[in-house]
Amino acid sequence: MKEAVERLNAEYQLNLTSAEMDAIAQQAEAGRRLFQKLFEADVEGVPPALQIHPAIKK
Amino acid sequence: MNLQDLEHLTIAALAPSIRERKVSVIEITRLFLERIERVNPHINAYVTVATDYALAAAESADREIARGRYRGALHGIPFSIKDNFATAGIRTTAGSKVLHDWVPDFDASVVAKLKDAGAIILGKTNLHEWALGGTTINPFYGTTRNPWDLNRIAGGSSGGSGAALAASLCLASIGSDSAQSVRNPAAMCGIVGLKATYGRISQHGTVPGTGAYSCNHTGIMTRTVADAASVLEVVAGHDPEDPLSAPQPVAKYSTSIGKSVKGLRVGILRGYFEEVVSAEVQRTFSAALEHLKSLGLETEEVTTRHMDLMPAVKVCTSRVENASAHDHNLRTRSRDYSPATRNAYLAALLVPASAYLMAQRVRRLICAEFHELLRRVHLLALPTVGFAAPTIDECEEGWLDIDGKKIRRQDERGGADSLTCIPFNVTGFPALSVPCGFSQTGMPVGMQIAAGPFQEDLIFSVAHAYEQATGWHKRRPVGNWLN
Repeated sequence: MKEAVERLNAEYQLNLTSAEMDAIAQQAEAGRRLFQKLFEADVEGVPPALQIHPAIKK
Repeated sequence: MNLQDLEHLTIAALAPSIRERKVSVIEITRLFLERIERVNPHINAYVTVATDYALAAAESADREIARGRYRGALHGIPFSIKDNFATAGIRTTAGSKVLHDWVPDFDASVVAKLKDAGAIILGKTNLHEWALGGTTINPFYGTTRNPWDLNRIAGGSSGGSGAALAASLCLASIGSDSAQSVRNPAAMCGIVGLKATYGRISQHGTVPGTGAYSCNHTGIMTRTVADAASVLEVVAGHDPEDPLSAPQPVAKYSTSIGKSVKGLRVGILRGYFEEVVSAEVQRTFSAALEHLKSLGLETEEVTTRHMDLMPAVKVCTSRVENASAHDHNLRTRSRDYSPATRNAYLAALLVPASAYLMAQRVRRLICAEFHELLRRVHLLALPTVGFAAPTIDECEEGWLDIDGKKIRRQDERGGADSLTCIPFNVTGFPALSVPCGFSQTGMPVGMQIAAGPFQEDLIFSVAHAYEQATGWHKRRPVGNWLN
């Protein structure tokens, strides 16, 4: 994850310190672990939720 | 009328006096402004007080009413607005350094509706930076303190609104709620907070990046349930400016006040959040359930299959959507964010699209399960927040003590104080927090009552019956600093 943060740091010209990048990488990794559980759900045939009301879409 | 009279005033009590011209709007407005001047330095609820605007609006309201043009129950009623709603001619910061000097030239739709109804905007209330958090410890605009104990937080992110109501610095406030942000400060400050159904109140003019798209709602904070119903009647409805607003007709919510609640079935929602519910909050909530039963309601414990995925769905959707709104500012002004907020958004930029889409697919599953659940029961109930307002020191240190266990205030699932609220952000179902007692430290505790989409009337009926039976809402904070 640290490499991804380093790429972001370069692309966004953030000038982050190494400690700041570590903190962000740690947070991103914790998020990745949390979101991994989503992939265990059976969502066969389930489209993403969209809350635009049909009447408005027209 | 004097300053002390403001402490027990409600919209329902004041509106007839304004209509019958027993009291003038300018008199009321001046009293509230005077109280704000005295009390606000102690709690930092308002970040901007719109004195000149409020006085001019009050004079105009009095002239109209004198000419027989009374507009309705909100005419002349003093409101505050969370500082992430655009207000024409009044600075709107979103609690951020980035927008420190922004003065919009338009009103958010909810503000425009309030002005059309004759409400008086007293000013803008403090919030967590970019509404991303539940403490309203704001590095740029200071910490909002809880009027019940100045060493404790007022909750958040609409903490300024909660504190302003508890300290009698307005009669109603508009907040936003993408995880807890109306209901949490309502519970911690001992007032009523309504997060209406997704799309029920327009979000046009909410500052982008303070709540995202999937889970954010405009909410109402008042002192009583009846007042919340009155405000919802005015601000609800489809808005052509907001493609996510709902076209359903607006009900006459005030007629739900006083209706019989006998025989209604309440599901006590159980799930992943029980570890953050303290024993004293659980006891207070259990006593509230006994009250509901004494009113003729039936209760049963309920849960859903994918309940444990709620935090992952909530955090994934909101963080990714919010981060996208901040992309430009992160590229150009990243040092104008606090490190915690900046890091959260940057980490969210690294979430793969596949995870975001999976979160939205699971969200659909969860919504279907909640629809199914609400075929079995009419309403859902659970504590609004699992613990009473912690101290500012505890929040700054990042740890909470819940029954002797050290719990991180914030982890990858979001704030510990948001976990009981997020089911209704993920599903978009309406939920209201009503005061239901006090902790041993004398801090307010809230009970959350939720129902199916567009069933705010049902929530109002039950919450009002409970409120009237218990009277918790009549208590007010005390202290020399309030006089």
